[in-house]
Amino acid sequence: MDDATPAALAVAGLAKSFGPVKALRDVTLAFPAGQVTGLLGENGAGKSTLIRLCSGQMRPDTGRLLLDGKPVSFDTPLEAVAAGVVVVHQEPLLIGELTIADNLFLYDLGERPAYAPARRGENVARARQLLDRLGMTDYLPDPATLCRDLSAASRQMVDIVRALSRQPKVLFLDEPNSSLTHEESERLFAVVRRLRADGVAVVLVSHRLAEVFSIVDNVIVLRDGTFVAAGPPDEIDEKKAVALMAGERKRAVVAEVAADRRGPGDGAEVALQLTGLRGEGFTDVDFTVRRGEIVGMAGLVGAGRTEIAEAVVGLRGVTGGDIRVGGRRVRIPGPGRAQKLGIAYVAEERRTEVFHAQSVGYNLTVRILSTLGRFGWVSSRRTAAAARDLTKRFGVKTASTESPITSLSGGNQQKVLLARALAAKPKVLILDEPTRGVDVGTKAEIYATLRELAHTEGLAVWFISSELEEVVELADRVVVVRRGRVTLDAPNNAGPQPIVAAAMGSTEG
Amino acid sequence: MTATTVTARARERSVKDIARSVLKRQETGLLGVIIVLGALVSLVNENFLRKDNLYNVLQTVVVVGIIAVGQTFVLIAKEIDLSVGSVLALSAVVAGSVYRSGANPWVAMLVGIAVGALCGFAVGSVVVLGRVSSFIVTLGMLSVARGLTQLITGGLPQTMPSELSFIGQGRVLGGIPVSVIIFVVLVILGQLLLTRTVFGLRVTAVGDNDAAARTGGIPVGRTRILTFVLIGTLAGIAGIVFSTQVGVAEAQAGMGYELDVIAAAVIGGASLSGGRGTIIGAFLGACLLGVLRNAFILLALSPFLQQLSIGLVIVAAALFDQGRQGNLRHLSPKALRQRFLSRS
Repeated sequence: MDDATPAALAVAGLAKSFGPVKALRDVTLAFPAGQVTGLLGENGAGKSTLIRLCSGQMRPDTGRLLLDGKPVSFDTPLEAVAAGVVVVHQEPLLIGELTIADNLFLYDLGERPAYAPARRGENVARARQLLDRLGMTDYLPDPATLCRDLSAASRQMVDIVRALSRQPKVLFLDEPNSSLTHEESERLFAVVRRLRADGVAVVLVSHRLAEVFSIVDNVIVLRDGTFVAAGPPDEIDEKKAVALMAGERKRAVVAEVAADRRGPGDGAEVALQLTGLRGEGFTDVDFTVRRGEIVGMAGLVGAGRTEIAEAVVGLRGVTGGDIRVGGRRVRIPGPGRAQKLGIAYVAEERRTEVFHAQSVGYNLTVRILSTLGRFGWVSSRRTAAAARDLTKRFGVKTASTESPITSLSGGNQQKVLLARALAAKPKVLILDEPTRGVDVGTKAEIYATLRELAHTEGLAVWFISSELEEVVELADRVVVVRRGRVTLDAPNNAGPQPIVAAAMGSTEG
Repeated sequence: MTATTVTARARERSVKDIARSVLKRQETGLLGVIIVLGALVSLVNENFLRKDNLYNVLQTVVVVGIIAVGQTFVLIAKEIDLSVGSVLALSAVVAGSVYRSGANPWVAMLVGIAVGALCGFAVGSVVVLGRVSSFIVTLGMLSVARGLTQLITGGLPQTMPSELSFIGQGRVLGGIPVSVIIFVVLVILGQLLLTRTVFGLRVTAVGDNDAAARTGGIPVGRTRILTFVLIGTLAGIAGIVFSTQVGVAEAQAGMGYELDVIAAAVIGGASLSGGRGTIIGAFLGACLLGVLRNAFILLALSPFLQQLSIGLVIVAAALFDQGRQGNLRHLSPKALRQRFLSRS
């Protein structure tokens, strides 16, 4: 760090764990006043945790915060705001039923007594003045407009203006431009430049690297919860930043498993083919999954990967393009039809996929009950047998199939979901984040199961993952989605770097 | 230069927007429905439009309407209160027995209303501190308050002080019932409280987006408790009005009123998912219920038909509200065509 510029906010030895997961370990860094710092890292690198710890939304396990050189600690976001540490969230926290003006002065509602008049007319006038002073009048509709009527970009802008109205010393912008067009981003950056001139420490988190590098004075790279590097952009350029984010050690892993990888070969039959698929959140998606092939889909959170999978199984509308299963063009209005066509889907959120109050056996067999009896009756004997068979085949560690599902560890619950999907003997298996929150040992077992099913039974596997390591390790072929489009579709033999570059939309790399 | 023209254009557009948003409001549609219904009824029976009948219609909805003002606040805060009918009876009975024990009638009335507020405070505290859903807590309070009412009266009606009978029976200014004036004043105060005070905006914020309200430093728990105190107080006032209308406080008073109260608020545009609702809407919702009941009497139609039609109105109002919110797009001709005709 440059000693000439005082750090507005510095953190020393900051650490935070969630259960066994170390989200942030011993991070020491500084955000200098009057500079724009780009905070870079993949999903899960610890950026969000760092922001939460700095802004009073969470307390660190260990470590200190220094604001203008003095130690501080924030119990609530309000205390942080009062001290001058303000966050603009990716998802703007607005009250849709109140006007722009009311939202801009939302903190007043907490600070003034309940019986006081709300001064909404005055708020509108104050909002106009504020926008005038910031030179942002043209960026927003009239402040008397209700927030629920605003576009995503305008909502973001309201959150930004609200942050600026608190005269921050340190301003965190957490992916502020993810929903903005290029022009709207430019406006935002004009504001950021002015703040920099006013001596504010601006911290920018964004996955649009080209835009980040057009404005930052400093870059900080995090990986797996640790500090990796910091420096001016002429030392750490875009290409180097991508390499630092991806990490060198992952290359070693690749070499190890690459030997074990046997793709299905080009001659294998196409199990699932998407042609020009379009829908809300994605456009012109083309790719195929062959029998016996494991396709890993990478990309940033929110890039549209889950949306594509949901469209294929009929959870979401398709506005154009074709889905072909085994060469036949099909229409899939819902997951029931998908199951009949031999497509199984395991969704991202384990919490919402598991039937919490039910047994392991119920959770395993719930989708195949119609095959376990006749005339609408379910044979309890056959159900129990099927459940026992599935636990054995997929190595679910449970005392009995009658045990409650909640008695199982997260990894074993994930195995149950996998077994449930495979119980219907699908030809295509779609997995969204198959090993999120799963321990290393179970992860390895799940990988082994998937490989075996693909290579011996010809199961076509398409998995979505935000863990780069997982994609590199498991996939035969990699498909990268960025902002709803496929930006890379290649055999998985080049390591993590091209994946990161394609996911971030970097021109280099 | 450019900025001023843009702003000027924005202002100009906003006048048109205001006109459009007024037309799109639930209240406007509701008022239209009431007027059309009234016109139809008066074609058949000219008694409908007589002043006395109109006052009569209003008088029948006063009790439900007063509580609906509070229920709207509760619904906006994303909670619900099922206990209002019992709390109404408890307040009335307490007022009656305090009076019988020799207290000043006004003191008796205030004690009765305070008991309503206390019930609300109890409900709110359990909901907020115990993190139990308000549906369950108020279902419990519905039973608790009714049980207390029976205990106090021992099943016998309590005579209300004659000094207070003007509240339920009095008429001023050429025949306007006092209770109607109280109702209208509470509606106006309620609307001002909701839209013009810090408290009202907090209620909207808490029900609309709990997380945003919290990070904005709004005392979320305290605001929730206060909305329950508010509806409890209003149920107490409604209890006094109800019992002075008939002259006695009965243990059975207000049975089943919670459903009419919720219906009035929902017909008026309050959403069970929080954040949305207006007091004027609840007022009009209560009026529509009254007009419907009155119409069935004037037209001498079966009371069963009346009950049926009120049920339909509740569902239709909720559907209309969903349509206004743009939540019924999946039923538009275009969406249906896409769904059923593109099947290959």
